[in-house]
Amino acid sequence: MTTYQEFIQQNEDRDGVRFSWNLWPSSRLEATRLVVPVSCLFTPLKERPDLPPVQYEPVLCSRANCKAVLNPLCQVDFRAKIWACNFCFQRNPFPPSYAGISDVNQPAELMPQFSTIEYIVQRGPPAPLIFLYVVDTCLEEEDLQALRESLQMSLSLLPPNALVGLITFGRMVQVHELSCEGIAKSYVFRGTKELSSKQIQEMLGLMKPTASGQQGRPLAPQDAVAASCRFLQPVHRVDMNLTDLLGELQRDPWPVPQGKRPLRSTGVALSVAVGLLEGTFPNTGARVMLFTGGPPTQGPGMVVGDELKTPIRSWHDIQKDNARYLKKATKHYEALANRSAVNGHSIDIYACALDQTGLLEMKCLANLTGGHIVMGDSFNTSLFKQTFQRVFTKDYNGDFRMAFGGTLEIKEMGIGGTSQWKVCSLNPSTTLAMYFEVVNQHNAPIPQGGRGAIQFVTQYQHSNTQKRIRVTTIARNWADAQSQIQHIEGSFDQEVAAVLMARLGVFRAESEEGPDVLRWLDRQLIRLCQKFGQFNKDDPTSFKLSESLSLYPQFMFHLRRSPFLQVFNNSPDESSYYRHHFVRQDLTQSLIMIQPILYSYSFYGPPEPVLLDSSSILPDRILLMDTFFQLVIYHGETIAQWRKAGYQEMAEYENFKQLLQAPLDDAQEILQTRFPMPRYIDTEHGGSQARFLLSKVNPSQTHNNLYAWGQETGAPILTDDVSLQVFMDHLKKLAVSSSA
Amino acid sequence: MDGDSRAKMEDMFIKPGNQERGWNDPPQFSYGLQTAHGPRKNLLTKRVAPPAAGPGAPPPAPPSFSPLAPPPCGPAPPPRCQAPPPPGMATPPPPPGPIASQREPDSSQSESEPDVEGVVSALNWALGACRQAVPGQVCDDIAKRVGVLEAGWRSGRLSLPVRRRMGTLTRELQSGHWDSADEIHRSLMVDHVTEVSQWMVGVKRLIAETRNLSPELLELDQDPAGPDQDPAGPDQDPAGPDQDPAGPEETTSSQS
Repeated sequence: MTTYQEFIQQNEDRDGVRFSWNLWPSSRLEATRLVVPVSCLFTPLKERPDLPPVQYEPVLCSRANCKAVLNPLCQVDFRAKIWACNFCFQRNPFPPSYAGISDVNQPAELMPQFSTIEYIVQRGPPAPLIFLYVVDTCLEEEDLQALRESLQMSLSLLPPNALVGLITFGRMVQVHELSCEGIAKSYVFRGTKELSSKQIQEMLGLMKPTASGQQGRPLAPQDAVAASCRFLQPVHRVDMNLTDLLGELQRDPWPVPQGKRPLRSTGVALSVAVGLLEGTFPNTGARVMLFTGGPPTQGPGMVVGDELKTPIRSWHDIQKDNARYLKKATKHYEALANRSAVNGHSIDIYACALDQTGLLEMKCLANLTGGHIVMGDSFNTSLFKQTFQRVFTKDYNGDFRMAFGGTLEIKEMGIGGTSQWKVCSLNPSTTLAMYFEVVNQHNAPIPQGGRGAIQFVTQYQHSNTQKRIRVTTIARNWADAQSQIQHIEGSFDQEVAAVLMARLGVFRAESEEGPDVLRWLDRQLIRLCQKFGQFNKDDPTSFKLSESLSLYPQFMFHLRRSPFLQVFNNSPDESSYYRHHFVRQDLTQSLIMIQPILYSYSFYGPPEPVLLDSSSILPDRILLMDTFFQLVIYHGETIAQWRKAGYQEMAEYENFKQLLQAPLDDAQEILQTRFPMPRYIDTEHGGSQARFLLSKVNPSQTHNNLYAWGQETGAPILTDDVSLQVFMDHLKKLAVSSSA
Repeated sequence: MDGDSRAKMEDMFIKPGNQERGWNDPPQFSYGLQTAHGPRKNLLTKRVAPPAAGPGAPPPAPPSFSPLAPPPCGPAPPPRCQAPPPPGMATPPPPPGPIASQREPDSSQSESEPDVEGVVSALNWALGACRQAVPGQVCDDIAKRVGVLEAGWRSGRLSLPVRRRMGTLTRELQSGHWDSADEIHRSLMVDHVTEVSQWMVGVKRLIAETRNLSPELLELDQDPAGPDQDPAGPDQDPAGPDQDPAGPEETTSSQS
């Protein structure tokens, strides 16, 4: 008999779906009473090495406003060769090619183990992938050299028939012609002037010349392709020339006076890039890759002026409405992002600088198009170089782990409508959150069949240029909340619920004031505890939560302290960066971000997970903490002294050497695979970098309460943050209170 | 350790990050390590539920190691190994790529020091075959870059791992193992870009063009000889087009 844990895990492994509730309340009223909405995390392109794609078109329901895909939940009459759509109950004949099916010879899409199935459907000629590099030249020489080399290296990682292009910018914006012979030419744009898409295409020669005062018309497709060839060429033809061109890239020649920032025209550079791709390859998979070493300081999209004495906006400035460029710059980049998304072009941002680069304003470019944001201190760091390499990692089939031009359709039973989203660019770990509304009226009977069904249809261009469709069809039982509330409670998936509520919180935080989000989060938690906690009225000590909810309050406690909701410890760019990654990672990684993992290494046994609490910090332990963005290895006081004394070099203390090595080996596994690459901190008791650990652990011992307990165990944290114990105490008091 | 194993080890290294330019920059893994798809050993994903203690109770005190009588200054030493290590284990073999304790191997002597003549002549052999089918300008560009490679090698500017891997690359090229040669070029671009970027793209193009040639333009070296042996040339092969001037059905591509 499968437990809910096993059921949840099997479903995630097979379909990439996890629901907050695995039994669905049968009315809208009951659904709202559950506090956590019926919602799911869905990974559309979850890697399934065991799922070979099928080479035929999916069979669709013939009803015009349904068009659901044939799936294992459909009733089939094998003799009459008819199937009944489980969404709209329409009876459909099978196509002629299915004449040979029978109940012992079923097509894959009817078998339960193929609740997720992928179809290869090549329509039209295969289109090559396009990579357009947009490179900031206002960098220090060391950084520019490192970036040149990374870009040259990337040419070896691109597929030979991919198209590649180069735009460089500083004070001016240059679009480089990549011819195979002769002198390198480029088209130069002023970095201060806003240009329309049409103007850009005209100036680049992508429009037919006007005749007798007529408007310039866009070139016919084949002519446009030929014209754009000058700017976007196949790698296999231009790799040598482009390598030289990259090698000869110079720093922006305009001198930067003392006390000033370089004039950086990022806004125009991106306008030109988006306009170029729009005019030449609409509706084809493309990646614009922006490499920038500082904030935009002139022209549309500028984020700060060129006077160094005026600092770039902080959260305090924004709160006090003192960020004069914020609205206008965000609008500029949002417009570009929307145009790109419509065309299936994604935009990545690789920002490496010690100060902010304007990620707050530019984040929509990546967020709306499915592009990456990578944030580092310098292009001459391992963090940038390796993260950038990992953009081009290949899967078990030797294909890139990137997909383009995605659209996601969701079909729900009984609603009759279909919701569709454009998900421009995807990779196998991209995970979306979906929130559903139960529309059944209260006390209406449970729908026919007793089960609700949802179908996810993801169409996309695979990196090997094939067009594919992945279909996932799932079902869950309806339940009457009046009589089956305990069953519904048992079906609660607290891990995914935490992530789903967190994503809602981040969404609210980005559109509302900060403190309100914490109040909202607390209110939801209290309501959930009031609904499902077992307690006697007004008796906090009697409060208990069942196992399916026992970890949930702790997740909420850590979420409240996380950089996703607490912004004042970070710059606006850092917050944007953390949130960007949080809302696209899969469940396991998202949970790590909410509540970091902490493992303890000691002589007493194998490595074990320990409480994320100051009491876990002990002199004779090594701790490994994973926050997703950082890996921290912390050596307790005694361990640090032993290490300093050099015991690991002595033969008779071989086990100490192994102890020191163990967390490094475990960290290595993570470092080798994670995207983006995390920072790596090796620190010890008293080290300045220990703050990364101390700021994350629950401060159960602080300077306020240390001596009250009379026992000095664990390291005290200097903070006035409320501890988990105090948080839980307050929560219980409020949950059991009859006046709440 | 023979040349191949040493080459393999050179492929799997870890360098520290750039602490001067980046806060807490992570270590850098070689291309070989990053592409090795081993099974994942540990997934550090477990959590511990908080103790179900009532309000106000202090967290339970974990067992602590009671030290031996501490010396007058400094802490007690760590616990010794229980048993003496078995013979031969005193110096454990270096595991593949432990962080922070392995530098990139940079031994000065080796019995399999690759030979620049062999490498360059292999590249020129491939280039010669390409000249019959590939535009002259491209071939000239490749030739120029092979020249840069040779000059750099002879003046001692190329490190040993790069020289070794170029030796392997040209061996694979001569044997017609195009994917393998391509993979080696990629690993060199990723691991040693500063040293190779000027000329490696020429080698990359050479591999790409050579593999597309029709087979009779190439005399593939079926026996993977070392770089110090001459590749089989058309004058050694009795069936080669140069040998038999008569008969249009035998001399196809060399007809002028």
